[in-house]
Amino acid sequence: MAYQMATPAHSAHGAPRAHPSWSPYDNNGGTCVAVAGQDYCVVAASTRMSTGFSILKRDSSLFLQLSDQLVIVTAGFQADSRTLHKTLQTRYVQYQFAHRRPMSVGAMAQLLGNTLYYKRFFPYYTFNLCAGLDAEGKGAVYTYDAVGSHERVGFSCQGSGKDLIQPVLDNQLKAASPLVLPPEEWMTSLPLAEAVDLVKDAFVSAGERDIYTGDAVEILIITKEGTRKEVIPLKKD
Amino acid sequence: MVASGPFDFDLCSRNAYLESKGVKPPRLTKTGTTIVGLIFKDGVVLGADTRSTSDTTVADKNCEKIHFIAPNIYCCGAGTAADTENVTGMVSSALELHRYATDRESRVVTAMTMLKSHLFRYQGHVSAALVLGGVDLRGPHLFTVYPHGSTDSLPYATMGSGSLNAMAVFEEGYKEGLDRMGAVKLVARAIRSGIFNDLGSGSNVDVCVITRGKVDYMRNYEYLMDKTVARETPVVYPPGTAPVLKEKRWKINSTRPSEAAAGGSAEAMDVS
Amino acid sequence: MFLTRSEYDRGVNTFSPEGRLFQVEYAVEAIKLGSTAIGVKTKDGVVLAVEKRVTSQLLEPSSIEKVAEVDEHIGVAMSGLTADARTLIEHARVETQQHRFSYNEPMPVESCTQALCDLALRFGENDDDEESGGMSRPFGVALLIAGWNEAEGGGAVLYQTDPSGTFAKFSAKAIGSGSEGAQTALQEGYRPDLTLAEAEVLALATLKQVMEEKVTASNVDIAKVAPRYHLYTQAEIEAVIERL
Repeated sequence: MAYQMATPAHSAHGAPRAHPSWSPYDNNGGTCVAVAGQDYCVVAASTRMSTGFSILKRDSSLFLQLSDQLVIVTAGFQADSRTLHKTLQTRYVQYQFAHRRPMSVGAMAQLLGNTLYYKRFFPYYTFNLCAGLDAEGKGAVYTYDAVGSHERVGFSCQGSGKDLIQPVLDNQLKAASPLVLPPEEWMTSLPLAEAVDLVKDAFVSAGERDIYTGDAVEILIITKEGTRKEVIPLKKD
Repeated sequence: MVASGPFDFDLCSRNAYLESKGVKPPRLTKTGTTIVGLIFKDGVVLGADTRSTSDTTVADKNCEKIHFIAPNIYCCGAGTAADTENVTGMVSSALELHRYATDRESRVVTAMTMLKSHLFRYQGHVSAALVLGGVDLRGPHLFTVYPHGSTDSLPYATMGSGSLNAMAVFEEGYKEGLDRMGAVKLVARAIRSGIFNDLGSGSNVDVCVITRGKVDYMRNYEYLMDKTVARETPVVYPPGTAPVLKEKRWKINSTRPSEAAAGGSAEAMDVS
Repeated sequence: MFLTRSEYDRGVNTFSPEGRLFQVEYAVEAIKLGSTAIGVKTKDGVVLAVEKRVTSQLLEPSSIEKVAEVDEHIGVAMSGLTADARTLIEHARVETQQHRFSYNEPMPVESCTQALCDLALRFGENDDDEESGGMSRPFGVALLIAGWNEAEGGGAVLYQTDPSGTFAKFSAKAIGSGSEGAQTALQEGYRPDLTLAEAEVLALATLKQVMEEKVTASNVDIAKVAPRYHLYTQAEIEAVIERL
């Protein structure tokens, strides 16, 4: 009789051993919204971090603030989000050293897309928005899927509350696709104060029905003067 | 097909076939839930939150989870809403008939036994997790009933997704022989701990105090939080926002049924 | 000369006791043998003009390439060992494309220049490992890099690189055998408010001064980056010659 292998890598049937009960991913919930205006960008994210039916943290920020004109906001799996933010922060600084200028929203949007696609077959479980002001000073919002497909849009929503919020934004902001012909105005014409009011309302309403949206919402208001931050409390149940 | 119980199983094999082909079964409304109960000096206090969820969305922000069983018995339900509502309803009806037949006050153990035998028969497929409490000739009683049919008789009990949060409060604060005030406060605190720390529980606190010959059902005993922000620039849809495509008018008979019925005596019947 | 420099000019990374790298200095010398190339910057763009040495009646002039496109917004003119420039240009093309892939924007011209100078310094690396791209000697070529920067505060820019891996920014610059005379002429003729058409004339006139041959459409090449790279056709070159 031949020697027995100490730990057979395959089961008796020869199939690879499976670990069906364990996954490297978790969903920590949270919702984010970004709205681009003619001369502003409003970016908001809820601060509750959860797993299953438990709250892990009530003041966890989803933002990666790269400059006062550029921000990335990430919902999904917090561990992946942290790693992604660390990578992008490093790349942002390296870009500035190499090219002696701040990175534009468009450049960061492309870099984020590439960074996500690089992990096409073991993705970062993150749902991103990249927002800021473009070279002309107009609001810019880029929206992503987990593997880097992205598009510039007038507004977008990601995370656990997106099914509740996105249709409301579609209705209230009525943005046409930037791809339609003849070209239509696709950026919202809403004044800044009204856009902020709409975003607050969206979060308060989502907090009523989505169990992963609550505690507080951080709102970043980006204009050519810089970024201003507001924190609005939400229900804590 | 001959029914062999309260359920119709006709579509089981069809549904199993559909599921094997990848059809998703419908989502059930669950009462994510924190429910509690405790025995105090003069009786039993039951408590519940009021959130019901469908997956991760809130289905009802102010539902009732403390169900009537008998005038001296109430039951908190967690699990699939349909199961808790029906199983308590069935037992409630059966006990009512039993009272007519025997002319005696229902006993809490009777309710408990009916619940557990029903749940055991269905091997956990009827997913109801219950906290049953009441006062009968033997005094106050409190039971937990699990979906598979097992039961416990306890001085204080919690159930549902928020049971650990609530039990933490009970373990810290429960004493034998609490007075009514202290018991209600402790129950409310246990439910609050579920509401704030368990995502399956939320909204308000319902409390039900059962004492000898008296029930005090305090619906929305605590209303915890309002919306934090009101819209500064509310959206107003002017008339005509929805375009009128077609218009058709009906003449509605304005005669009220009460008038028609009373017509003979009060005034002459309209025979036109 | 060989008496004083003996030994220390052998290894490319061996300093002489006076602190000099002779191989690099020799490479810089090599450029002074090359054909002249001139770059003139205006606010509307950069003009590059180069001399092509048509050494034989039988040589096909269009096969001499001394100006090349790196990317839409960057062009280079070369002087010295033009074969070496191929390696540099290929490297610059890869770098600029990679930048577009990563950031969806044109590469800043200075970054491209820096990338070329980084490569220029890579001689003597990995002597034992040929496969990792180690180079045995410095490049024998200098480049004029003309470009257009997209971002605010951008616009036309002109850089010059040499085999030592240093680079500098210029308003107008000449390299190659006629560079000394040409640079003096540029210094006299250059004004910051030059139009692109005037820059074409200044560049070609300066080139004409230092060329032995008579300037024709086939023995010079002209290109501009304004703001896109464009290599002049025979007819366009003739039109500039007309205006001299």
